[in-house]
Amino acid sequence: MSKPPDLVQGTLDLLVLKILALQPLHGWALSQRLKQVSGDVLQVSDGSLYPALHKLEQQGWIQSEWKPTENNRRAKFYSLTRLGKQHLEQEAANWERISTAISDVLRLREV
Amino acid sequence: MRFENWLYTLPLRLRTLIRGNRMNADLNEELRDHIDRQIEENLARGMDKEEARLAALRAFGNLVTLREQTHETWTWAPVEHLWQDILYAFRSLRRAPLPSAVAIIALSLGIGLNTGVFTLLNAIFLKPPTLKDPRSFVQLFPQYSGWFTGADQYSSFTSEDFDAIRTHSHALDVAAWQRFPVLFEQENKPISTMQVTCNYFHVLGVDRARMGRFFAETECAHGVGAQVAVLSEAFWKSQLGADPRIVGKTIHLSGMPVVVIGIAPSDAANFIVGGVFLPYTLEPQFDHARNLFASPDTPWLSMIGRLRPGFTRADVKAELSTIMSRQDRAYVERKISAFNRRTSLVLTNGSFIENPAAHTNVIGLMALILGPLSLILLLACSNVTMLFLSRTIARSSEIAVRVTLGAGRSRLAGMLLIESLFIVSIGGALSVILAYRVPLLIMNIADPSEANTAVFRPDWQVFGYLAVLVAAATVISSLMPIRAAWKLDLITALKGREGAATVRSRTTNGLIVVQIALSFVLTCAAVMFGRIPGLIRGVNPGFETHQIVAVPLDVDTSPSNRDKAIVFYRTLESKILAIPGAQSLAYASLQPFSQAPPSEIRLPGQAKGSGQPTSVDDVSSSFFSAFDIRASQGRLFSATDVNVTRADSVAVISQAFARQFWPDNDPLGKVVVMPDDRHLTVLGVVADTRSERFGALDGPRIYTLRDPSEVGGNLYVRFAGSAKPLENAIRDTVKGMDPTLIVTPETMWESLEAGAESLTSLAKIILIMASIALLMAVTGVYSVLSFSMNQRRREFGIKMVLGASRVSIFRSVLFHTTRNIGAGLICGFALAEPALLLFNRLLSHSPLPINRFDLTVFGSSALLLTTVSLIALYLPAYRATHTDPMRVLRTE
Repeated sequence: MSKPPDLVQGTLDLLVLKILALQPLHGWALSQRLKQVSGDVLQVSDGSLYPALHKLEQQGWIQSEWKPTENNRRAKFYSLTRLGKQHLEQEAANWERISTAISDVLRLREV
Repeated sequence: MRFENWLYTLPLRLRTLIRGNRMNADLNEELRDHIDRQIEENLARGMDKEEARLAALRAFGNLVTLREQTHETWTWAPVEHLWQDILYAFRSLRRAPLPSAVAIIALSLGIGLNTGVFTLLNAIFLKPPTLKDPRSFVQLFPQYSGWFTGADQYSSFTSEDFDAIRTHSHALDVAAWQRFPVLFEQENKPISTMQVTCNYFHVLGVDRARMGRFFAETECAHGVGAQVAVLSEAFWKSQLGADPRIVGKTIHLSGMPVVVIGIAPSDAANFIVGGVFLPYTLEPQFDHARNLFASPDTPWLSMIGRLRPGFTRADVKAELSTIMSRQDRAYVERKISAFNRRTSLVLTNGSFIENPAAHTNVIGLMALILGPLSLILLLACSNVTMLFLSRTIARSSEIAVRVTLGAGRSRLAGMLLIESLFIVSIGGALSVILAYRVPLLIMNIADPSEANTAVFRPDWQVFGYLAVLVAAATVISSLMPIRAAWKLDLITALKGREGAATVRSRTTNGLIVVQIALSFVLTCAAVMFGRIPGLIRGVNPGFETHQIVAVPLDVDTSPSNRDKAIVFYRTLESKILAIPGAQSLAYASLQPFSQAPPSEIRLPGQAKGSGQPTSVDDVSSSFFSAFDIRASQGRLFSATDVNVTRADSVAVISQAFARQFWPDNDPLGKVVVMPDDRHLTVLGVVADTRSERFGALDGPRIYTLRDPSEVGGNLYVRFAGSAKPLENAIRDTVKGMDPTLIVTPETMWESLEAGAESLTSLAKIILIMASIALLMAVTGVYSVLSFSMNQRRREFGIKMVLGASRVSIFRSVLFHTTRNIGAGLICGFALAEPALLLFNRLLSHSPLPINRFDLTVFGSSALLLTTVSLIALYLPAYRATHTDPMRVLRTE
């Protein structure tokens, strides 16, 4: 991993929350979606999604439910809770602010 | 985390805690599902079966680690630690069942006695009497100021005040009552009645009678006074055998027949005073001495009330204050006395402790009752402390391992606290049984007739108290073990050598001192109360008690009835003297074994206010011979003194009086000045009696000669032979003269005996509690000593090897322990003496022989405790000094 783990973790949480805000998904679909949107930037194993998901659940930001999928299988679907929605808004705003600040700094040129 | 989050995640976390297995299965299924889907995807991309599986697993990462990581997100460290600690506590309890059982029994006794007695006190003192909507219930107390003495006083309401409030108040529905003693003729025994307004039960919140009905408003019409009665359930059961057909029957009270119309249920109010309820308008018929309805200025009614809907206490206070100030103006305008009455009202919730006149005494009393009881709990705690302390020592290497592995002090303290909480909670849970039983047991001992109907429900206050006790006991009993664990010497503990966690001898010494001190206080209380009944029975008051009968009379001697009263008394006197066995009659103004306020006696020439407080007893000339009080100097009153001019000028004094006024001179022929400026010449001196307090010599006392034309006063009959026939004859004589006048003549000895009897039950309760305390102290001292002896076994072994004899070691142990016992006794004395002083002050108006300092009590308690603790010392000390030194030292 090229990035410090907590940074990955932090961004991973945010990404998961954002994706789940759009629609409830099960773990595998979520990992496909993550790969799809982030391309190769987020280099984490598929499995590391699960500790993150369970942590988010324990914090009350997402909730899970076993539901049937296609051809009679069942999967655990995750969806955003009301608390999670609030948290996502906050975190997104934070991210916005920090990334703007960082890019502003990076855009400075030596005179 | 914010509160909202907690609210949301708490159930989740509890679920993980409780359903861990289920969650694991879920996780496995979830992960397998992911991998399966990935395999399918890979297959769809054209990989072969094995390749698809491997690729999927590779992409997924380390399954075991991931599962573990996920698992960690579930764990909820503090709760899991707590659970572990509880399990640990449970295991260590199972490992040492006997000491744990002793500790638990000690604790449940300690906590149970405390909660039980508190339940009782709570019901009697702290709770409002009503059960129904206590917030709308008030009790009213008038505080009168403007008395010439300048002191404010709490008193009752006059019937006029009550009527004014009842008719004019919009905010309050009021009821009133007065207690009045009568004679229940069927059992020939004095009982207390409540003379109540007819809405009393309604205001109290008791709406339905157990049987029959309550009073109707017409039965309280002025001047009518229907002769009906409502009985309390307790009275009905204890005195009338719970007669199911009692309603409609007639009972006789002090010569008046009343028809029973109903039974008031005991459990409908918090504390219904046992006895008989009568319409308050019957008061004049029962009270022969005065008619309180006809004297508008005598306060006699207590008042309770219910807020009407929409009104608050503040409204009531404002409204009633206006009404009472109007009443005050009318009172002052009537110019009854120099009393410039101004009334202010105090509103309470009706509980006894809020009664402004009783407030301080109730608090003092509760402190005196709960104080010693909390000492019992403290003793129990010290037992538990010992248990934990020895367990901490036994576990020192385990604790050392925990510390080296990084367990912090708080974690260690938490662990020990949980263990102590575990034990204390078991004790507390067991004590709930006692909390229900103890009040009944105590009531049973104190007053068996009331006990079967008294209802004491522990309420939230009791359980709050219980919780506080449990918390306090937990903390107190784990303090020392925590200290021992913190002070652990890691290196030696890890090397596995015993004695690594040395408990300083200061700790064990301290424990012994504390236990001896606490049980000393309790033993003193037990000895003191245990002695009282015997003291009362054994008292030699200095006058005759067996052959003299007191005849309590209740005769209207007011000027309007004076002529009739004189006839009554003279006829009665001659009739009594005609009874076989009756020898003489005597009158006195003071009653033995009760205290009367002293008067100021001066010497001629002394200004008012500079005299000495002295008891004045106005006695008939036959008094001294009837009571067998002999002159030590001079002579006593004779029949010839009884002409009005002489009676006004002579007196007999007690020796204490003589010592006080003329320490060096002969008192005979000296003159004293009475408060009303009469000058009296001293005829003779009599020995001091013990008539004010049991067993204590009276202070200065002067006997004046009673004006023979006077009526009333306390009548005494001296007789020969046996008492019962004479008492019955006197009662029948009085009843024959006035059927409404029922008296219970008793010899002085019989009333002493009755007083001693009532105190015996109290003494029994205290004795039981003190025995429990003593037992706890003995087990406590025993366990402390055997613990410290065990600790010092190696030390003794070395000493012996170096040549010390067993006897010298035993002697040093004995000396050491005796010193601790002595220190404990001194500390105990320091605790007991202030309590005794407080008790003495609370009882300053009772004749009980409570001294401020009682050598017998302290001495015998100290002796008892020393003996008992030396016995407790013997076994462990013997064992420690009689072990083979080689065996002890082999572990070195």
